Amino acid sequence: MNTVPHNSIPSRTLFTHILLLGVAVAPHFQHLNLWLVSFYFVLTFLRLAVANRIERLPGRFLLLLLSISGLAIVALFQTRPVGKETAIGLLVVVLGLKLMELRYRRDIYITVLIGFFIIITQFLYYQSMLLASIMMCVTLGLAIMLVEVNYIQPPKSPWPSIRKTLILVGQALPIMVVLFLLFPRLSGPLWNLGLDNQSAITGFSDTISPGSVSHLSQSHAVAFRVDFTGPIPEPKKRYWRGLVLWNTDGYNWTTGKTAYSQAETYQAKGKPVQYEVTLEPNHQKWLFSLDLPAGHVPNTRSLPDFQIQAIKPITARFQYKLLSYTDYSSSGLSNAKRQQGLNLPDNITPRMRKLVRKWQNATTSNREIVNKALQHFNQEEFIYTLSPPSLGNNPADAFLFETRRGFCEHYATSFTLLMRIAGIPARVVAGYQGGEINPHGGYLIVRQSNAHAWTEVWLEDQGWVRIDPTAAVAPERIERSIDLDNWADGAPVQFQNLDPGPLKNLIRQLGFSVDFINARWHRWVLGYTNKRQNEMLSLFGLDFLKGSALGIAMVAVTTLVVLIITIGILRSNRVYTDPVLKTYLNFCKKLAKQKLPRLSNEGPKDYAQRVIKQRPDLAEPITKITKLYIGLRYGQVNSPESRIFFNRLVSQFSP
Amino acid sequence: MFESLTSKSSHSETKIDSELEQVISKAGEIILGKEQVLRLALTCLLARGHLLLEDLPGVGKTTLAHLLAKLLGLQYQRIQFTSDLLPADIIGVSIFDQNKGAFQFNPGPVFTQLVLADEINRATPKTQSALLEAMEECQVTVEGKTHPLPNPFFVLATQNPTSQICTFPLPESQLDRFFMRIRLGYPDKKAERALLAGEDRRDLLQSLKPVLTPKRLLELQKQVPQVHVSDALLDYCQDLLIFTRTSPKFHNGLSPRAGLALLRSARAWALLDGRFQVIPEDIQTVLPTTVGHRLHSTADTGVDESEGVSRYLLDSVPIP
Repeated sequence: MNTVPHNSIPSRTLFTHILLLGVAVAPHFQHLNLWLVSFYFVLTFLRLAVANRIERLPGRFLLLLLSISGLAIVALFQTRPVGKETAIGLLVVVLGLKLMELRYRRDIYITVLIGFFIIITQFLYYQSMLLASIMMCVTLGLAIMLVEVNYIQPPKSPWPSIRKTLILVGQALPIMVVLFLLFPRLSGPLWNLGLDNQSAITGFSDTISPGSVSHLSQSHAVAFRVDFTGPIPEPKKRYWRGLVLWNTDGYNWTTGKTAYSQAETYQAKGKPVQYEVTLEPNHQKWLFSLDLPAGHVPNTRSLPDFQIQAIKPITARFQYKLLSYTDYSSSGLSNAKRQQGLNLPDNITPRMRKLVRKWQNATTSNREIVNKALQHFNQEEFIYTLSPPSLGNNPADAFLFETRRGFCEHYATSFTLLMRIAGIPARVVAGYQGGEINPHGGYLIVRQSNAHAWTEVWLEDQGWVRIDPTAAVAPERIERSIDLDNWADGAPVQFQNLDPGPLKNLIRQLGFSVDFINARWHRWVLGYTNKRQNEMLSLFGLDFLKGSALGIAMVAVTTLVVLIITIGILRSNRVYTDPVLKTYLNFCKKLAKQKLPRLSNEGPKDYAQRVIKQRPDLAEPITKITKLYIGLRYGQVNSPESRIFFNRLVSQFSP
Repeated sequence: MFESLTSKSSHSETKIDSELEQVISKAGEIILGKEQVLRLALTCLLARGHLLLEDLPGVGKTTLAHLLAKLLGLQYQRIQFTSDLLPADIIGVSIFDQNKGAFQFNPGPVFTQLVLADEINRATPKTQSALLEAMEECQVTVEGKTHPLPNPFFVLATQNPTSQICTFPLPESQLDRFFMRIRLGYPDKKAERALLAGEDRRDLLQSLKPVLTPKRLLELQKQVPQVHVSDALLDYCQDLLIFTRTSPKFHNGLSPRAGLALLRSARAWALLDGRFQVIPEDIQTVLPTTVGHRLHSTADTGVDESEGVSRYLLDSVPIP
């Protein structure tokens, strides 16, 4: 055996190290080819099997073969357009090969470094807090490995290394925070450049057709979160306006060209509601606002019918602040708009007209007609369901007179059509209704299951009035969320029980906690963008440090700090040349903390005698340490063993 | 491994320790309450240095000289220095032997292992220098002929404080020849009580048996330079020397000879303490007696203040 024990890796360190590297690589396996994953597994297994008999590690020739096969796997199987996956595949191959060369302690430095690098690449895919915490733990573990291999003779218990690492990490934390806050940010997240898979993301599209909202409603995914300044509006006022749909071909409803028409106005009543929305990326342009919004969101267009549209599709979490008035009366309808609000598709059937005529015969007031229509929905056998039957080419007719089972979009669109037949301008509004209040953060969570559609009708004396025909069928919809866990095909919608029982309640509370932590993580960590950094800087009056100035300032400050530390080290050079003296000074420091400092001209023996006189309980360790120190520094004791022994005595010494 | 290292060295240390400890304890029976002084005197002897005892008459200077001679089994001669003492009275003269028809050298009292030069500052500088030459060279040259002095050779000179009348103070250059200067001082109350109540010191001295032989003393003297001095200690030593040369508080800095003396006495002190390595405390202990008479404060008040000066030096220089 040609190993020197001094150099070899203790098996505890070796196994922990390989395990940690495995955890660091593991999340990448889903992006890697199965061949590559097996390649890494085989190499890891080999290294574990060899353990400390390093003479059995592959020689140069075998290593060359392994390298070639690793490269070949990357070249042949990781063949998506050369990019991130290729680079990561290469990195994993390099790490696996390096395991084959993990012979001596110094080799760990390299594998730890590759491990750190792989950990960083994880965040190219995910930035969740769970992943971040796991990777933080792995980083800590790898740092412990670094401390461990730096011992001349590692202590039997891992605690000293762990303690030391924690101290080091603790010292590094403030620097990390400062760098996080001040390091120049690129505007827009670096890792989101065309990397997202759009398939998993749900949201409203430009069109609404029967079934599109009910489909959306079956998702638990969060649409957006809202932080209110001040009280949260009551549930029946939580209508989140998204798209306004004017045009229909009898099947689909679309927004229509509204951009160049005259803006609608309204008279606000009551106090405004102030809030900040954090919109999840939905790859659409729609922003959602509480009915009705006032003010403008930067980087968006405010459309005349109170739609807010982003200039580019929202691919990253987007935050905006808004002001809304929940009580209002609007005014001013141009003839063109009136015409648009009365447009009917070709497939209006006689029985629809007949139904409307029946109401018109009873009353001439538009308001009464609206009420009659609502009564119709309420009193006839309409059922509110998540899975309505298919409706054919004329969904409105089929729904109104045959199936009578539908979700909110069925009610909203058919109601709008009926109104238009009656000569009342009407339009469909799609968005969200309701939302859960997270008791931990005091913010509102609006999920896709809150997706909703309703109608707005024009009444001459009130302007646009929101009418929710769904509320006429299922009034609970407005107050409660749909219970997605209990629904049967075609069955009426079940609503969440207000008192769901202890177990469900606990799960819900846990869910709120997780959502709270995640929301804050997104808001404060991932959402700390260029914009927020500038906001923070101006908070401290450092507005001038923007963009490149901040970079230059950081470099200057870092240089200055390094310079000062360097000068300090150079100046105290003499004191710290002798490691024995350094350890002894450590010992003195420990005693100085007990109010027993050593005088500068006090010899070790005198000092020990003085201290022992005051603290007879410490006589034994102090005598031992002093004797050994005298031997090492003034005598001829010079063996590394006694140095180690001395270091250990001092580090174990705790007065 | 560390244990074996210490036990090996401690074995030989114990032997030296016990011999020398015995000398100290025996001497302590005669000169009461002065252990530190006795140790320093013995240190001086081990370091092959000559000792200057400076104090008032009657504090036990002569007794100390007697005592050391007795305990170490050394030949002993006493020279009482007076203002009319001539060099020949110390080193001896050549007298014409009528039987042999030639000049025959009659060795003076200096030809002995331990010389007590009593009240050295009463003699004229010429006479003083005759003794000091003998001390330095360990030999005497009379009329072109060199006569070696015995080995070991140890001069113990006593001196009255220079403020007393009819004295010729030793010049600085001569003082430098003395390895150490010790002051005995008055005994403390308890020791004096025992002294007054006890037997006559002379009688006690007569009954004293030697503890060491001159041969053993030579062996011990040879061990002194072998006591280990580490780099760290040399650093400290040099810091002290440099401080005396750069600080404005001192008239002249310490000479290299003073530095050598300091190190040698520290080695001897460590050996006496039973150690084979010098630690800073050894330097600190021997420094006032070894360099006190070579250091002069710039603020010369006329009163000898070597104690204070040494203290200041030690307080000012940190141990590296």
